[in-house]
Amino acid sequence: MVILNFTLSEEGVAVLHDALACMFKFSDDVCLEARMDKLTLTTLNISKSAYVCFSFAANRFFSRYSFEGTPQYRDRFFCQLYIRSLLTIFRARQAGGDQARDRDASIDRCDVAIDDGLGKKSRLVARVSFRNGITASHSLPYEVKPPTHAKFNRDEAGNRWSISSRTLRQLMDHFGPGIELLDINTDEEARVVNFTCFTEKVQKRGAVSNEAVLKKPLHTNVAVEMDEFDDVEVQDKLHIIISVKDFRAILQHAQMTSGALTTSYSNPGRPMKLSYSADGVLCEFILMTVGEKDAMTQKHKNPRANNAAKAARPELDSESHRASSVAANENQQEAPASTTTSRPQQQETPVRPRQSAFEIRPQPMPPPTTARSDSLFVDQAEDDEQWEPINPDADEEEEETARLEWNITNEPNPSSIRIGSYLSRQAEPQDVPPDRLASGLEPTQRLSEVRRFGLFSP
Amino acid sequence: MEPEGSAPAPPIFRAVASSTRPLYQLLKAINFTNKVHIDITENGLRFAADHARVMQGVAHWSKSLFTTYTTNIPSGPAQDSTSAEDSEKEDEPLPPTFQISLPALLETLQIFGAADAAARQAKADADPYRSNLRNYRSDAFSNHTLGMSGTCSLSYAQEGEPFSIVLDESGVSTTCNLTTYVPETPDDIPFDIEDLSFKIITSARWLLDALTELAPTSPEKLTIAASKREPYLRLTSSGGPLGSSSVDFDKGRDLLETFSVRQRWVQTFKFDIIKSASEAMRIASKVSLRGDGQGVLSMQFMVEVEGSGPSFLDFRFVPYAVCEDEGEEDEEDEGEEGAEMET
Repeated sequence: MVILNFTLSEEGVAVLHDALACMFKFSDDVCLEARMDKLTLTTLNISKSAYVCFSFAANRFFSRYSFEGTPQYRDRFFCQLYIRSLLTIFRARQAGGDQARDRDASIDRCDVAIDDGLGKKSRLVARVSFRNGITASHSLPYEVKPPTHAKFNRDEAGNRWSISSRTLRQLMDHFGPGIELLDINTDEEARVVNFTCFTEKVQKRGAVSNEAVLKKPLHTNVAVEMDEFDDVEVQDKLHIIISVKDFRAILQHAQMTSGALTTSYSNPGRPMKLSYSADGVLCEFILMTVGEKDAMTQKHKNPRANNAAKAARPELDSESHRASSVAANENQQEAPASTTTSRPQQQETPVRPRQSAFEIRPQPMPPPTTARSDSLFVDQAEDDEQWEPINPDADEEEEETARLEWNITNEPNPSSIRIGSYLSRQAEPQDVPPDRLASGLEPTQRLSEVRRFGLFSP
Repeated sequence: MEPEGSAPAPPIFRAVASSTRPLYQLLKAINFTNKVHIDITENGLRFAADHARVMQGVAHWSKSLFTTYTTNIPSGPAQDSTSAEDSEKEDEPLPPTFQISLPALLETLQIFGAADAAARQAKADADPYRSNLRNYRSDAFSNHTLGMSGTCSLSYAQEGEPFSIVLDESGVSTTCNLTTYVPETPDDIPFDIEDLSFKIITSARWLLDALTELAPTSPEKLTIAASKREPYLRLTSSGGPLGSSSVDFDKGRDLLETFSVRQRWVQTFKFDIIKSASEAMRIASKVSLRGDGQGVLSMQFMVEVEGSGPSFLDFRFVPYAVCEDEGEEDEEDEGEEGAEMET
């Protein structure tokens, strides 16, 4: 049965294409999530440091939109698709050219349908009708995969400003190529907001490799008067650093909507949110900001050393914890999710292949962009409480809405309210107990037993 | 070969063209092989390119593309003394035929305009304002645009001699001698005009648009279906890793200029070989699609050349054998099962 069916006008196709093109700068695939009232496209970049979400309002953006829940997908349907193939479908076609009007090859309308069910091919079918009478229909296979949403705590983000996206885009023109980081900060008197671009890419020079120079020793600062902003509330002397590449990609898209771009953020090392909306489309971006200390000191730590540390640890730890884990196995065969296990053994389960990276389901994980995750990693290995049993029912609920959250324990600012968790990590696990299901699994689980926790795609 | 007399015989073929652009355009449309067969006739040159005996592209340089065009086609015995016993053939002159390297010929025809480009470069250097912004644009008064790009004379003295091209342009003369090869004389792909299943004439651009729609999934096969009822003409791509696509042509709205279908015709071709005709689709104004009872597809393109009548490009394609379709369906079924597992 047809789960989702919507029609786009020519302009709608163009808007959708712009959104996809913007997402393509972050990731290769996109999660589509359809509900009664809106269609959401989300993506997360590979380092999980940036999250993009476009919401299209069902009644405003589409010429026609219908979502019919099935027993399987009651209130929402989700799937994952390649952005590249969507881009070619929703691209703009050249109009008639020098030919007469009746030979117009531009898009008349575009019907998209997702037809799924038993005995049916699971395909997204896009039918593009052209004004000249040609109809192209494309059917794309998709993967049923629940989307990952990044969490952003609005209450925590005290700093905010909003500015016309065009103005901001013009400012970015001043920043040269090859730069990596953008520091948004305020001066002492808080009369201007500085946008400072710089890079820390170091180039080795000469045969003596310890002589390093900055590859692009260009430091650009654009000071913007507070008056330029519509609504500004920024802490004094706060430096917030984000990736220029991500910021550029956002502005590239934002300038097309010509609306005001709103940002809110709290402290370095905590996510920053940028959003703007236009004509039934809400665009939200959550970017991880670079922790101040990371940016200055650890960013260019030799990655090989990190890898070596990571590789060595599991062996070491799994030996030391073997006895306890075996014992646990014997005792708790019946209740596999309620045992205390050690971190390194978790690492061996197929569920979590990328320990060092930012994790999706077991929530408290190292942060994405910064190299600091390693120190955190070691600390947590000693923290058994972290892997306490969790409520499996809660997980059932959570299963389809994997939420992405950047690590709270990574608070770099000791003055913040989370000082307690920063100093003693034992206190921290109570903050978000229901999210931690997967981490409570025995290392020696059979795959079939683990499967019911929804760790694999259903 | 011995010359026939003391005086050198006039060359078999000699022609002068003032512009190589149409010549180049037409040949580029069949640029999918290394060697091309040339037949010299009274009315023009015929270039036949062949790909693995499943695709054939023929381009004509009609007489009207040249300012002078002379042929001296030898009669049967002079061309081939061994066929003397074939008395009927003696009267009919056999057109001289040989093979030539197509990329080399195309390269040669492009030499034209080289002096122009150099002049433009010099101008660009002198005028910094137009330095890197505009030098890709051709000047409105360049020789190239005005079609006065010098002269190009082609000649073929006699069998076994190189095909010689002399380009004269603003005092610079370039002579290129292209080696000719013994013809393989492959037969044309048989196409039975008496047994047409369908004939559709449409704008070549629509066909190109349709292929552009299908190409992104990098398909392996293209199925062309023509039928009396809807969908009248449908192109379907399959076998690509990113899904499948199809394009339907509506009968109305002047999309299909001529549409006659005798019986439903469905054939599958390799996508890439149809795609190699896309250059022809780009330059042509109209295309005539025909399919015969055996499944061979013929595409005839009409190319409007400035200053002379229309030229025609002729393509023929051999379809996949029908039994392969079953294998493809099996694959599709497997794909479906895989998708259901995931849900």
